[in-house]
Amino acid sequence: MGFDFDFALSTIPTIIGAIGTTLLATVLSCLGASVLGFTFEMIRRGGGATGLAVRFLIDFIRSTPVLAWLYFLYFVLPFYGIRLGAVTVGILGLSLYYSGYLAEVFKAGIDAIPKGQQEAARALSLTRRDTVVFVIAPQMLRNIAAPLGNYLVSILKATPYLAILAVPEMLGRAFDIASETYRYAEPLTVAGILFLALALLISYGVKRIEQRLLAAGRR
Amino acid sequence: MLAETSHPVAAVQLIPHVRIDGLNKWFAALQVLKNIDLSVRPGVRIVVCGPSGSGKSTLIRCINGLEPFQKGTIQLDGIALGRNARDTATARRLTGMVFQSFNLFPHLTVLANCTLALRRVLLKPAREAEEIAMQHLTAVRIPEKAQAFPAQLSGGQQQRVAIARALCLNPRIMLFDEPTSALDPEMIKEVLDVMIALAGSGVTMVCVTHEMGFAREVADEIVFMDEGRIVEHASSRDFFSRAAHPRARLFLDTILSH
Repeated sequence: MGFDFDFALSTIPTIIGAIGTTLLATVLSCLGASVLGFTFEMIRRGGGATGLAVRFLIDFIRSTPVLAWLYFLYFVLPFYGIRLGAVTVGILGLSLYYSGYLAEVFKAGIDAIPKGQQEAARALSLTRRDTVVFVIAPQMLRNIAAPLGNYLVSILKATPYLAILAVPEMLGRAFDIASETYRYAEPLTVAGILFLALALLISYGVKRIEQRLLAAGRR
Repeated sequence: MLAETSHPVAAVQLIPHVRIDGLNKWFAALQVLKNIDLSVRPGVRIVVCGPSGSGKSTLIRCINGLEPFQKGTIQLDGIALGRNARDTATARRLTGMVFQSFNLFPHLTVLANCTLALRRVLLKPAREAEEIAMQHLTAVRIPEKAQAFPAQLSGGQQQRVAIARALCLNPRIMLFDEPTSALDPEMIKEVLDVMIALAGSGVTMVCVTHEMGFAREVADEIVFMDEGRIVEHASSRDFFSRAAHPRARLFLDTILSH
């Protein structure tokens, strides 16, 4: 039984039909992980008891498997009366899981900013919030564009985990076809190529943004 | 005469902009400031000098609350620094600071560096903020670089922008922390020239510097520090002609013999 090219082509519409779910999960998880990760890092940086608690939380998140998070949120939360849809749980799980990693990336990006920048902001009487928004965050983004892009691609590649919650994303859809037809090579290849295309697209976009950030006032 | 000194205008003149009493500061176990008393009256230009490690930079960084201190008081126009966050913020607003390493925001243009605090702290509309910033950039003779990024400027140009940026908030007290120490020799003059022009405008200045020529030309008073203490505080003329403390004499001899 060789690779059936025509069969492969015929699976494309079905699999591409799930691209919306894959992209939705990717984009929302990236946003969720970034916002959570940045918030965690800001709280950790603030120190004190909450800072310490968040530090442990970040380490805890990073030390547990993403599948454990997804299963936990999907199967355990309902016991406590919290019922969420599969897609919501998937996005929540990926956001939480990757927030731990992104907090570390943000930390590195902020640590790389010279101390004098915060001092200048203080000397100019900028509020803490304004200092973060106008001085720290833009320079942080410039420092971390490359690793941040890597994690965004990682999140895209982690969306197939959502298949275990029966979320109809691309790899899950490909597997459905395989189970019905007993032909695995074609649908999985098609799904793989589509993921590759998306990943390359994101990488390219990130590279462009990085170049633009670096072009503005290279140190 | 009593009648004259109690005149309101005279009284205002006598209230020091900066008043430091019994200031002590430690970095962990190391005491870096020891019983500092210092008053800076409005319009007075003070140069703080001394060997490295004598605490001059730490002192000037205490004056705008960048460094916390453990004992003593600092008041700016009667408002205490370091007692509570609100007073510290109010007092800090009276100051402008220029750093040794410029500390311009590298991701913002020269103009945006200057307008940021105008817009976010003084809540000026964009147009007005830009007008104010351009006035100060013109005063430091660099208006043509308004749209450039800091990295495109020389060190001397960056420091002049930093001075303009500090002036935008219209501070009553300008603090300079070794403003020319990070500059190539040929750029020192352009920065000193701007500072000399600024001194002529009547703003109160506290300047940590090794530039004794500048000190002689501009300073009303010289403070000489050694090992965390003020060992000499004299008028500029007295300091250069007859500094009393042996450490100050040695310092002057070394510096002026160059």
